[in-house]
Amino acid sequence: MAGFLVKRILQAVFVVLVVTLLVAWAIRLSGDPAIMLTQGAGSFTEQDLQNIRKALGLDQPFTVQYLQFITGVVTGDFGKSFFGGTSVGSLIAHALPLTLLLALTSLALAVAMSIPLGIHAAVNRGKAADTGIRILSLVGLSFPNFWLAIMMVLTFSITLGWLPPSGAEEPANIVMPALTMGVILTATNVRLVRTSMLETLSAQYIMVARSKGLKERVVLYKHALRNCAIPLITYIGLQFGGLIGGIVVIERVFNWPGMGSLAFDAVAARDYPVLQGVITVLALLIVAANLLVDIVYGLVDPRIRTE
Amino acid sequence: MQNLGRNLRAMLLAATAMAAPALAPAAFAAGTLTVTLVQDPGSWDPIDTFLVNWAKVGNNVFDGLVQRGPDMKLAPGLATSWEQSEDGKRIRFKLRENVKFHNGEPFDAEAVRFTFERLLGAEGAKGPQQSNYNAIDKVEVVDATTVDFLLKNPDPVLITKLAGYGGMIVPPKYIQEKGDEYFNTHPVGTGPFKVVDYQPKVSVTLEPFAEHWGGKPKLDKVVFRFIAEPSTQVAELQAGRVDIVTDPLPISAIPIVNSDPRLKVESITGPTVQALRFNTRTGITKDETVRKALIMAVDRDAIIKQMLGGQAKPIASFQSELSFGYDPALKPLPFDPAKAKQLLAQAGVKPGAAVQIDFRGSDANFREAAQAVAGYLQAVGIKSILKPYETNVILNEIIPAGKTGEMFQQGWGGWTFDYDNTAYLMYHSGEKWNPYDNIPELNALLESQRSMTDRSKREKVLQEIGRVVADKALEMPLYNLNAVYGVSKRVKNFVAPPDSRLRLTDVTVD
Repeated sequence: MAGFLVKRILQAVFVVLVVTLLVAWAIRLSGDPAIMLTQGAGSFTEQDLQNIRKALGLDQPFTVQYLQFITGVVTGDFGKSFFGGTSVGSLIAHALPLTLLLALTSLALAVAMSIPLGIHAAVNRGKAADTGIRILSLVGLSFPNFWLAIMMVLTFSITLGWLPPSGAEEPANIVMPALTMGVILTATNVRLVRTSMLETLSAQYIMVARSKGLKERVVLYKHALRNCAIPLITYIGLQFGGLIGGIVVIERVFNWPGMGSLAFDAVAARDYPVLQGVITVLALLIVAANLLVDIVYGLVDPRIRTE
Repeated sequence: MQNLGRNLRAMLLAATAMAAPALAPAAFAAGTLTVTLVQDPGSWDPIDTFLVNWAKVGNNVFDGLVQRGPDMKLAPGLATSWEQSEDGKRIRFKLRENVKFHNGEPFDAEAVRFTFERLLGAEGAKGPQQSNYNAIDKVEVVDATTVDFLLKNPDPVLITKLAGYGGMIVPPKYIQEKGDEYFNTHPVGTGPFKVVDYQPKVSVTLEPFAEHWGGKPKLDKVVFRFIAEPSTQVAELQAGRVDIVTDPLPISAIPIVNSDPRLKVESITGPTVQALRFNTRTGITKDETVRKALIMAVDRDAIIKQMLGGQAKPIASFQSELSFGYDPALKPLPFDPAKAKQLLAQAGVKPGAAVQIDFRGSDANFREAAQAVAGYLQAVGIKSILKPYETNVILNEIIPAGKTGEMFQQGWGGWTFDYDNTAYLMYHSGEKWNPYDNIPELNALLESQRSMTDRSKREKVLQEIGRVVADKALEMPLYNLNAVYGVSKRVKNFVAPPDSRLRLTDVTVD
C-alpha cells in the first residue's frame, strides 16, 4: 500500500504542476488587467497602461512570472490580487470553506436522495415506480443547472418569497444552491445505484440472507448496499471534480461567495494571481479527493489493500 | 464497515436539517439602504482604480476640492472658492475650514499637497489615474487654508477632474502611519459616509459621518452588495432585499421592474457613446461620399427602439448631450436609403461590395446593433462581414496598429463629460485610437482649445471639432446609452447621477 501511495502522490504533484502551467499560460492569453483597471472611466493613455503593467510585474517574461508564482505556492504564498492587493491566500481562506460546505451539502443531499430512490427502483424493477424514477432521472439530467437555479429563484424567492435569492449570510441561503446541485447529482446517481443494486440482488448470498428470514430492509441496506458501495464511492469521488466545475455556475447565479465566484470574477477582471491561486487549490483538492477514494477503497474492500 | 449505514443516516439527517432553515422574511433595519454593485474594485484608494463601481462608493466616502452633483454643475467642495491666473497656469484654492477626516485628522492645505504628491509620484504611477492629472506641476501650500496649483500647461478640464477619482483628498497622517495597503481596505476620507465594514467580494458597509461639513446624512446605514450576475441583482430587487440596482440595469429587466408596483426604473442620459469609425485608408470607405452614403443607409432610431429598448439617444458627434462641447445645432445625416444608393452609384461602388465591421464580441448590446447595421447596409447593396474580437485584442492590437476592417467599433464612457477627453484621443494624429486620420485642421483645433481659459470660446472650438468630424464623415455616429437604475419605491430623494457617482447624503428610506 505504501509504494502504491507514493506513486499516486507523485502523479498528483505532476498533475497539479501541469494544471498551474496551463492556467497561468491561458489567462495571459485572455487579456490585459491594465485595461480592466481603467475600464469605464475613459481617457486613459498608453502611458497609464504601461505604468500599471510595470507595477503589477507584467512587463516580466512569462517564465519569470510563472516561476515566481510556483515558488510562492511552494512557500504557501499565492501572491496578491491585482485589484487592491488583498492577499490571495486570505481570499481563498474565506471562499474555500463556503465552497466545501456547498459541495458537501449537495453531495449529502444527492446521496440521501439517490440511494433510497435507486434501491426502490431496483426492487420494483419494471414496475410503475421504476419507470417513474427513471423518467424523473432523465428529466433531471436534461436540466441545465443554471436554468434549474433560475427557476428555483423565480418560484421560491420571487413568487413565494420563502427563500433569499442570493448571498451567504443566513442558513436559508444554502438551500437553493445545494438543492440545485443535489438534484442534478441525484439524477445521475439514481441510475448507478439502480444498476449496481440489480446486479447485487441477483447474487446468491442475497438469496441466502432472504431465506434466513432476515427483514427486507436489513437485506437491502446491510447486505446488498455494502456490496455495491465500491462503484458508488468511486463514482462519488470522481463526481467531486465535476461538482466543483458545476459549482462555478451555481455560485455565480446565487452570488455564493465561494471559490467559483472568486474564479469567475478573476477571469472577468483578468486578476491573474487570484485565478492561479483558486485553480491551484481546486486542483489540489480534486486530486486529493481522488487519492482519498483510492484509500477508502482499501478500507472497504480488503482485496485492494493486499494487491 | 458497520459505520457505513450509520454514516448515511447521519448525512441524511444533516441534509434535512440544512433543508429546513429559519424562513424569516427579509426584514429591513430602519434607515438602511442596500445597493448592488456588479464588481468589487478591491481597493478603495482613489488612485488605485478607475472603475465606475469604485466611484459609486468612493463618492460617498471622499470629497474633492470641487463637487459635481447629478446636475453636472461644478460646486465648491473642500475648496470654498478658486481663481485661475490670466495664463491659466496657476489656480489658487481657498479651503474650507474646520473639516475633519473620519479618523479625526484635520483637513488642511498639507492634506491637499500630500494627496497630489502621492498621485503624481511613485504611488500614483502604479495606477491608472496619473496621466489625467499630469498638467499639475506641483501643489504649493500658501497657508493652512490656501493652496496653489502650479501647472505645466493649462488644462481646461482640470477643475472637473478635481471633483472625482484621483482628485479625492486623502488623510496624510493616517496613510503614513498605517501604510498604503491598509488604506486600500480601510479607507478614510472627509466624505459624508465612513466605511465601517468591508468584506472583499461580499459587501462594503457605510455609516454616516456626523461631523461632515455638509451636514449629517439621513440614512443610518448603507450596504453595498457585490452581485456579479445582473439577473441575480434583479431577483434581489424583486424579492425586496436590495433597494437600488445600479447602472446598468439590463435592458431585458426593464419590463420586469416596470411591472412591479413596488419598483421603478430611473433612466437618464449617461456618458457612454458608441460609433462605428471608418477606415479612411483602405476599402470603399476611403471615399468620403461612400462614408456618407453608409451613414444615411442606417436607421439609428429604429436600432435604438428595437435593440436597445429605447434606452439611448441618437448622436451626431461622439459625445453625450451632457458633454461640454455638445452642439444642439449639429444634426446627424438623415436616414435616407434612396439617397444612399444614389451616392454609392455616384461613387462607383457596385452592389455587392463588402465592408468588414470589427467590434468587441463581449458587448451583447453592440453585437445586436452591429447586426442591424449590417442589415441596413445589405438593403443598399453593401455586404457586411461582422467580425467580433476579444475586447483586449481589438483595443490593443487591431485598432492601434491600423489593422481594422472598413468599420470598427469605438465606445467611450468618460466621466468628465468634456468632449476634449474623447476627441483628442480619437481625432488627433498619432493617438492610439486614431490609426488612420491625420487632418491638420483637426489637429490645430484640438491643440488650440487645450490652452483656452475662456469657457465659451473653448466650447465653440469643441463644437467646431464635432462639425469637422461630421463633415468629413470620419465615423458613423450611433447612439448614447442611458444610465439605467432599478429603484425600490421605498427610496426617497434619490436622484440617479449620469456619471454613476452616487452621493447618498439626502436619500431616505421608508
